[in-house]
Amino acid sequence: MKKTKLGEFEELVLLTVAALQGDAYGLKIKQELEERLNEDLSMGSIQSALKRLEEKGFLNSEFGEATPQRGGKRKRIYEITSLAHRTLAELKAIRADLWKSIPKLAGGLKTI
Amino acid sequence: MSARHSLRPPRWPLAILRFFIKKEYLEEIEGDMEELFYDNVARWTVRKAKRIYTVEALKLLRPVLLKKLGHSFTLPSFPMYRNYFKTSLRGLLRNPLTAFINVFGLSVAIGICLIVYAFMLYDRSIDQFHVHKKSVYLVTILAEHDGETQQYGLAPRPLGERLREDFVQVKNVCRIEEGRVVVKHEDDVYHEHIRYVDPSFFDMFTFPLKWGSPEALADLNNMVLSEDMAVKYFGEDNPVGRDVLVIFNDSTKKAFTVAGVAAAFPKAHDLDFDFLVHFDNINVADGAYDMDDWRAFLPATFIQVENPAGLRTIEQQLKPYQTLQNEALPDRPLAAFAFEPLTSLHERASHLRDAIVHDFNAEGRMGMPIIAIFMIALACFNYINIAIVSASKRLKEIGVRKVIGANRRKVILQFLSENVVVTSFAAGIGIVLCYFAFLPWFVQFTGWPLELPLVHGDLWVFLAALLLFTALVSGLYPALYISNFDAVKIFRGSLQFGKHNPFTRVFLCVQLILACITITAGVVFTQNNAFQNYRSWGYDQKHVVYASVPDAAAFDRLHAAMKQQPGIVVSSGSTDHLGKTVSPVLLRQSSNHSHEAGRLAVDAHYFETMGLRLIAGRGFREDSENDRRALVVNERLVHELNLKQPLGHRFDVNGSPYEIIGVVQDFHHWDFFRKIQPMVFTLATREDYRYLSLRVESGAEARTYEALQRQWARLYPEIPFQGGYQSDAWGTYFNSVNRSETFNKVIASIAVLLACLGLYGLVTLNVSGRIKEFSIRKMLGAGVENIAMGMLRQYAVLMTVSLLLGAPLSYFFSRAYLDMLFAYPMPLDYSGTIIALVILTCLVLAVIATQIRRVLHLRAVEGLKME
Repeated sequence: MKKTKLGEFEELVLLTVAALQGDAYGLKIKQELEERLNEDLSMGSIQSALKRLEEKGFLNSEFGEATPQRGGKRKRIYEITSLAHRTLAELKAIRADLWKSIPKLAGGLKTI
Repeated sequence: MSARHSLRPPRWPLAILRFFIKKEYLEEIEGDMEELFYDNVARWTVRKAKRIYTVEALKLLRPVLLKKLGHSFTLPSFPMYRNYFKTSLRGLLRNPLTAFINVFGLSVAIGICLIVYAFMLYDRSIDQFHVHKKSVYLVTILAEHDGETQQYGLAPRPLGERLREDFVQVKNVCRIEEGRVVVKHEDDVYHEHIRYVDPSFFDMFTFPLKWGSPEALADLNNMVLSEDMAVKYFGEDNPVGRDVLVIFNDSTKKAFTVAGVAAAFPKAHDLDFDFLVHFDNINVADGAYDMDDWRAFLPATFIQVENPAGLRTIEQQLKPYQTLQNEALPDRPLAAFAFEPLTSLHERASHLRDAIVHDFNAEGRMGMPIIAIFMIALACFNYINIAIVSASKRLKEIGVRKVIGANRRKVILQFLSENVVVTSFAAGIGIVLCYFAFLPWFVQFTGWPLELPLVHGDLWVFLAALLLFTALVSGLYPALYISNFDAVKIFRGSLQFGKHNPFTRVFLCVQLILACITITAGVVFTQNNAFQNYRSWGYDQKHVVYASVPDAAAFDRLHAAMKQQPGIVVSSGSTDHLGKTVSPVLLRQSSNHSHEAGRLAVDAHYFETMGLRLIAGRGFREDSENDRRALVVNERLVHELNLKQPLGHRFDVNGSPYEIIGVVQDFHHWDFFRKIQPMVFTLATREDYRYLSLRVESGAEARTYEALQRQWARLYPEIPFQGGYQSDAWGTYFNSVNRSETFNKVIASIAVLLACLGLYGLVTLNVSGRIKEFSIRKMLGAGVENIAMGMLRQYAVLMTVSLLLGAPLSYFFSRAYLDMLFAYPMPLDYSGTIIALVILTCLVLAVIATQIRRVLHLRAVEGLKME
């Protein structure tokens, strides 16, 4: 966890890319996340997150098919790298660990 | 086809995307956006989809996704700027003299610019505080006079009432009449100006009240005071409810209740008041006042309309009143009525005759920006010259920078940013200088209530613009010049530079010319001032004292009382008085052509009393019935009407024939700012005497004046004395001439100071560059003459050229300046320019002499060791 700085939003994008499995391109990721978060996201925020993640080595991408709906422009399909996989797993473990220590506190809060 | 066409994503956001987004991302993002667009078209409307597209496109402009726009846009990074900043600070500290000259010059110039800004701000905001300024208009009339259309700020008396009754569009009408009265409260008795206004005054003009309510003006017995007047009569207490007595004339008095006191007027105001009472009080003041008299005019009639667009129709529908007016006053037919908006009334004031608003700032509006540009130019030239010459000390630095990879653009950027540092520094000092030194002095000096509101947003915009302008103007040339050096040549030491730069010479030349012009202006103004002081008034103003009286009875009593007073040579009564009042008159010639002239109604002794000199014909005879139809005219009138035989020439005045019986030498009725107008004298009737003039023996002036005051106080303890020495008749005229003299001297001194500082800096740098040469000369036995000649030769040509150019320029500039300000300027000779040239030459020689001294006192060994 030392150098791999991953923002909250970036993490969500990364997870979405992983969940979409092979169909992860810009608009799809946006729609998926919008549905899950139940809020509107801008294309700019998604795109800049994707580019940053790619720069950090969490994502790979390649051109996919072009549909007439896209005016003949190709999609860019993203997939997560093994580094991303590892980092996400690490984060999850850390969180789970932390959660484990919470019930006491939550219980304490309830009594108030 | 068009349906399909409109189903495309909007064009310009797409263009933005294509321009800004990195090429490698473009296809993907464009595709995503287009897909999103068609999704949205299916879900919402086309319009909404387009809107979403646009918003999304703009949100895509993020640093990660943006193209790098070529190399030209890559600025040196922050550490580089830090380095520039450091070097420029060190440079400033290493050469405190040149730094001081640059910063001082620029800050003085910026300080002066700020004053000009404050002045412009003040001038632009005069009378702009009225909430309804956009819907309030002054009724004006256009009349033809000698073939020219002149606009007057007056309106016929009944017009206001007609506008109120006949036009529904007119929401409010406010008529304003003015009067001179005596106001008395307990022991305070003064002559005052009173304004009779309609109660709508406070609805139309925004003058908040400190005490009382504006509605109270509807009551005929109420009065509203300005804050100054409240303090004058009642001190700091709230005077609402107290009574003051207004004495309209000897027999008519009326007590008013103070119902309101206005809060202090905003500083930038023109239209104001001292005392306000209800308009109908005019009938109390003057029983014979006829409100329906189309021949008479009101000083101002304001209207307020809901919709300014409707004004044109009102103007056209006023035709019947125009006819009515022209029937009543056929001598001076009206051409049209016009409405002047309050918003621009002050700006237009100089085009309106007899208007309630005045424009005193025209002179400043012309002169101030010129002065500011002069100063900025001087400071910039200083900077340019010094920057170029001091670059000789920084050649190696520039060379090193170039060798380690700075291109020309970066060197330019360095010098420009250095310049921005200096100018910002100067701007800071300039603000302080302006705020604490220039502005208070200037306000006290001119009486213009200027302020520099530091929180005013526009000030900072102006300052930023000024900074940018000065920084670019002063820095661009040196930066371009310096950055052009070849690194190899610098290190080889073969760079020929400085001495042979033609621009340095041109700039210094221009500087000297500017200095020459300002010195000449200062000298010429001093000369002109002396000239104006000794200029003849056309009559003998020195031995005359006068008193103004309210009516003929007062004249008789005062006249009788003064009979016993010794030292009086001759006394005279008159309706009008030189330097005080004059009434307009139309002289109609048989050819049905009429001329406007000023009319002074006087008695038979007036010419002798005032020392007016008859050059043809005779004066009036006492009690001569014939002379009631006689005119004495001035030379100007004879000249303007081109009368070959003035004596005996007949005019028609107000329907009666008049004949010229005498011609007097031209005299200045008003001050020297104004041209002499055609004037006529008529014989006054005794009942109309309003002035008593006394010609006294030399030395008896003060004694007679005191006696006048004493007798008046004995006769009329309730009415303050009005009168004085005739030589004071022009009031503040000589003060204002003295003021412009001082002002010009100060400006000239600053300009000379700046020019000399620049020259000093330049000469010092030049000498420093040649210090080795001078040291060697000294070692080889050169004397004073040799060194002085060596130095002077360099500047001799330059001086000669700039003085040759500067002298005629200064001459014409001063002449234009004098002509602009004075109706009768001093006939300009060459002495002013010559004195200026001598002053300037001495200063330049003194500057060079300091450096000669420096070289003479220098030990040659030290000079040679110097790096």
